[in-house]
Amino acid sequence: MLNFVINQQPVATDKPAGMILLEFIRDVTCLSGTKEACREGECGACTVLVGTPQPDGSLAYRACASCLLPIGEVDGCHVVTVEGMSRGKDLTLIQQLIVDHSASQCGFCTSGIVLSLAGFCLTSPDFSYQDAINALDGNLCRCTGYAAIRNAARALCDRLAALNRTPAARVATLAAAGVLPDYFTGIPARLAQLPAVPTTPFTGSATLVAGGTDLFVQKPEQLLDRDLCFLSRRRDLDYLRIDGSVLRVGGAVTLETFRLSAEVRQHFPALTTDLLLHSSTILRNKATLAGNIVNASPIGDMSIILLALDAQLVITSRDGSSRKTPLAKFYQGYKKFDLACGELISEIVIPRLGCDTRYNFEKVANRVHLDIAAVNSALRLTLAPDGSITDLRISAGGVAATPLLIPGLAQFHDKPPDPPAIARAVADAVTPIDDIRGSATYKKLLLRQLVLAHFAAPAAEEAAQ
Amino acid sequence: MKNVDMQMHVRGTSLFVDDIPTPAGCLHAVLFTSPVAHGTIRSVDISRAVDAPGVVAVYTHRDVPGLNEVGHMLKDQPLLAVDEVKYIGQPIALVVADSRRAAQRAATLITADIEQREAIFDPRTAAARGLIFGQQRILTSGDTAAAFARCAVIATGKLASGPQEHFYFETQRALALPGEHDTIKVVASAQSPGTFHRHIAEVLGIPQHKVEFEIRRLGGGFGGKESTAVWVTAPAMAAFLLKKPVKLVLSRNEDIATSGKRHAYEYDYKLGLDADGAILAYEIDLYQHAGACADISLAVLGRSFLHTCGSYRIPNIRVTAVSCRTNIPPNNAFRGFGVPQGTFAIEAALTHAAELLGQEAAAVKRKNLLRNGDTLPYGMQLKKTNAIRCWDELDQKLDFAARHAAVAEYNRTHTDTRRGLAVIPVCFGISFAQTALNQASSLVNIYVDGSVSVSTGAVEMGQGVNTKIQLVAATTLGVSPEKVRVDTTNTLRIPNASPTSASTGADLNGMATKFACETLAARLQEFAAQQLKHGTPADIAIRRDAVYCQGKRTELDWEKLVAAAQWARVDLGAHAFYATPGVYHDVATERGRPFAYYAYGTSLTEVLLDCVRGTYAFTAVDIIQDVGQSLSEIIDRGQVEGAVVQGMGWCTIEQLRYASDHRVLTGANAYKIPDIKFVPPHLSVTLLANSDNPFAVCNSKAVGEPPFVHGLGAYFALWHALRSVRRDRPVPSLPLTPEKVFMYLHG
Repeated sequence: MLNFVINQQPVATDKPAGMILLEFIRDVTCLSGTKEACREGECGACTVLVGTPQPDGSLAYRACASCLLPIGEVDGCHVVTVEGMSRGKDLTLIQQLIVDHSASQCGFCTSGIVLSLAGFCLTSPDFSYQDAINALDGNLCRCTGYAAIRNAARALCDRLAALNRTPAARVATLAAAGVLPDYFTGIPARLAQLPAVPTTPFTGSATLVAGGTDLFVQKPEQLLDRDLCFLSRRRDLDYLRIDGSVLRVGGAVTLETFRLSAEVRQHFPALTTDLLLHSSTILRNKATLAGNIVNASPIGDMSIILLALDAQLVITSRDGSSRKTPLAKFYQGYKKFDLACGELISEIVIPRLGCDTRYNFEKVANRVHLDIAAVNSALRLTLAPDGSITDLRISAGGVAATPLLIPGLAQFHDKPPDPPAIARAVADAVTPIDDIRGSATYKKLLLRQLVLAHFAAPAAEEAAQ
Repeated sequence: MKNVDMQMHVRGTSLFVDDIPTPAGCLHAVLFTSPVAHGTIRSVDISRAVDAPGVVAVYTHRDVPGLNEVGHMLKDQPLLAVDEVKYIGQPIALVVADSRRAAQRAATLITADIEQREAIFDPRTAAARGLIFGQQRILTSGDTAAAFARCAVIATGKLASGPQEHFYFETQRALALPGEHDTIKVVASAQSPGTFHRHIAEVLGIPQHKVEFEIRRLGGGFGGKESTAVWVTAPAMAAFLLKKPVKLVLSRNEDIATSGKRHAYEYDYKLGLDADGAILAYEIDLYQHAGACADISLAVLGRSFLHTCGSYRIPNIRVTAVSCRTNIPPNNAFRGFGVPQGTFAIEAALTHAAELLGQEAAAVKRKNLLRNGDTLPYGMQLKKTNAIRCWDELDQKLDFAARHAAVAEYNRTHTDTRRGLAVIPVCFGISFAQTALNQASSLVNIYVDGSVSVSTGAVEMGQGVNTKIQLVAATTLGVSPEKVRVDTTNTLRIPNASPTSASTGADLNGMATKFACETLAARLQEFAAQQLKHGTPADIAIRRDAVYCQGKRTELDWEKLVAAAQWARVDLGAHAFYATPGVYHDVATERGRPFAYYAYGTSLTEVLLDCVRGTYAFTAVDIIQDVGQSLSEIIDRGQVEGAVVQGMGWCTIEQLRYASDHRVLTGANAYKIPDIKFVPPHLSVTLLANSDNPFAVCNSKAVGEPPFVHGLGAYFALWHALRSVRRDRPVPSLPLTPEKVFMYLHG
């Protein structure tokens, strides 16, 4: 039995944990404001807020694509749909501003936009306009051309500017300001009365679900009746910490938690913007680093970044034993990797960057945001005081059957960087194929250019400083 | 006034087709479609599907109770294939089950034994083999051969523009509810109440008066729900045969894989300028990629054909156009309806010719803009064109010359990035080119409590047509807009309605509503004069819910007047009809006055090109658009913004990719429409001031489609930036994806 609250309504259901939340909302609770428009997390029409109880008793709200979210994931949580954003007959602020700015035409994407902006209000540290636009990076609209949506977002930021920004008081602040309905403040107490959410056992027959944002695109039907083990319930795997020269990231950490963490901001500041190129807010709020790694897409943005950063994986098996392997040795072939049945990635260990080390990430996709790359690539370059290379790692996606760490770059060590030569060597090392992301010729040439960009980009940054 | 539906959209209470609470026992239908592009059906085995869990019925063409035909313009499209399949995705069987999942599972159990035949995917090949719909159309004016002899430069070349997926958020869907006496009600997401109503009756083999077809609103249409009746007739047939409610909802990927797109075109052009840059002659051949059935392609082709001049005066012209029959899903209407494709060719040819002449494209364009008194090649003389006004007012605002100089300077001093600019003038004929469609009716009922209900054939799809009609009714009757409700589009109230397309929804239905309201207002004025014992009804005016006599407010208000009138047996209902006057076109001579008027506009688009990566970002789009006297400025602005961004998507990142057998490979995760970060940080829309238009309701002008053409600025701004890098190869065809841009630069 799963117990949660949708808007103000308590739900107790014996539907399978693998049932898609969007279907549950529309067909079981008969709330039709949440729309299905792609069923792949590509459009945002089905966006809802999920509030997860935190150890301190508060709720952490995140906007998520309900089309890729099994209801097992919201056990014990507060789910907010567009119907839960009104205050009786009155509109809340986001709704009112969308009306004021005519930021809705056909209306099919509108409820998702309301919820994504609500997610922004609940999570943005400083209510910045850029955060508001980032929060909408997974919400497509085919009618408005977005200008009116941006105007509504800007007006929202203006209205929020004067509010108290203390995270602990956020829900109360927003409720008092008419951004959220008042009932939000009573939800934590209601959720506290629900039965404790059991940890789903990782037994032999269970399917491990990390973020599920690709799994539930690929095979929602098969997962409907399976035992699912939700990694999101593994609090013990939800951590980031600096440990000497490395950053340790738990196997359940989401991309967005990682991107916005103090640790990443301090030690890998470039990643806070690089990861905006990874999917969208409503997917990053569920997708995990470990999930992106085991997804093993040859073009996975996170895998490419972590390959260049020389990440190590801690792999734990069901019996509690663990082993370590470099990510560079993890991939064995297309969608084949070094993870046995009963094992999971419990930790990702990322070496910190020294002051003599440059990191850069390049991605070219048909659409800049919310798209799969034609080619992506990351660089980690360490230079000696005399300017010669002491270590060079370049990874590339979309050019091989696996995320690829370019081999043979040691030949460039102990010399000053020669970008054209390195770019040629990298391009020569790959064998892309023609597919919907682009032709093989394009990808090979593009990778060469991206390697040149790796060397140009940090230089340009330094010049700017 | 803002779109009244937004109040519900933000609450999630608007009812789209799949949101209507379904009756108990509602069944779900799924189509089994052709896996091959062309073939002869030897047999279809449905037996395993029939026996699958939850399945109620599986139908093939033999089960169609009436006419197995849903072709829009020609009778060439069976609802369910008989012995031939002509495209991947063509419906062969209809599975009905107690859940959508069960129907989908069962559909995978159907097998079709199909002998594959040669399939054609290239429009030029089809044309060469005579595989065309209708006849080749030829439009000539002046003498091109003689004029080319006088040209200083002649630009010739081949061009192509790509298809575009509508990506309306609400996919194709319908709910069919059987009634008594073999009647049926179908509620659908569709733009053509009249034709779909007829198709349903024909397929079921019953008279139209037994079919009620209703449309509440669409989650986007853009033309894609105008002509293809498959998804409306299929559930209707199942519901009719089973006497059970049946719903059909396409998944996104089913929709992308099997529905029509914006037509791709190929072009051969030849354009000549004199030494001053004046266009002397233009020859253009259009090859339209129509697909496997005629659908609405010939109408789209006609519009391209009549818009090959763009916004320019072209004294000598020869246009040929063919609609090519190939083995892809039949393409259909998409915002602009062939005009963007026709305009693209002249813009490309003129930009090319300006390069040959060594002049800035914008200067050459300005020189050739249409002026009052000019006659278009099909014989229509322009009395009042705003082409030059729009151009010059935007120029005054932005200073085109200074912007061009700044870009030239930037490009002179930068190698890794370049900038590009394009000025695009738009001239868009308004009216259905098919004269018969230029009609509409409206039914206005005043209830005894003073509330007003309006029904028209217009379909609300987010463009705000219902709000505009509500305003027209309120203004004409003299009541506050809240008293007026525009009801669903329903064939019981409004028969034989034309589709809501060609940007004419408000023009036609607004005018019909105005007529109906004028009739009612006249009756009420006369009655009020009697009540007030005033001899001259013309002295009576109803304004803002109050009754005035000779400008003085009387004791009568709207509610009292209406209640008294009803008691006195005054008819409080009126039906009115409007047919656009004076439009005609003779296809035999290709001469006529096919459009009531033209909508004009000009835009400036600026792009920043990353030459290292072959990527780009649009930095600014400024538009001035002629909407006449706007019925609602905020709605019209939204239409302009939405249209231009959709047009920019067509020109750049929206690309369909196909497998070797021509299956669509670009599903929802690979077909990319503009997102919020694609849109230029500066997007400014100005509505042309002091423009009036006697040819449409309340002096307004149509706005739905014309601004789509401004999206071409994205292509030509990139052209400008790319040519600053190199000119030793032709600019790639539309869309200019990052891949094509990259290969132009580095390939």
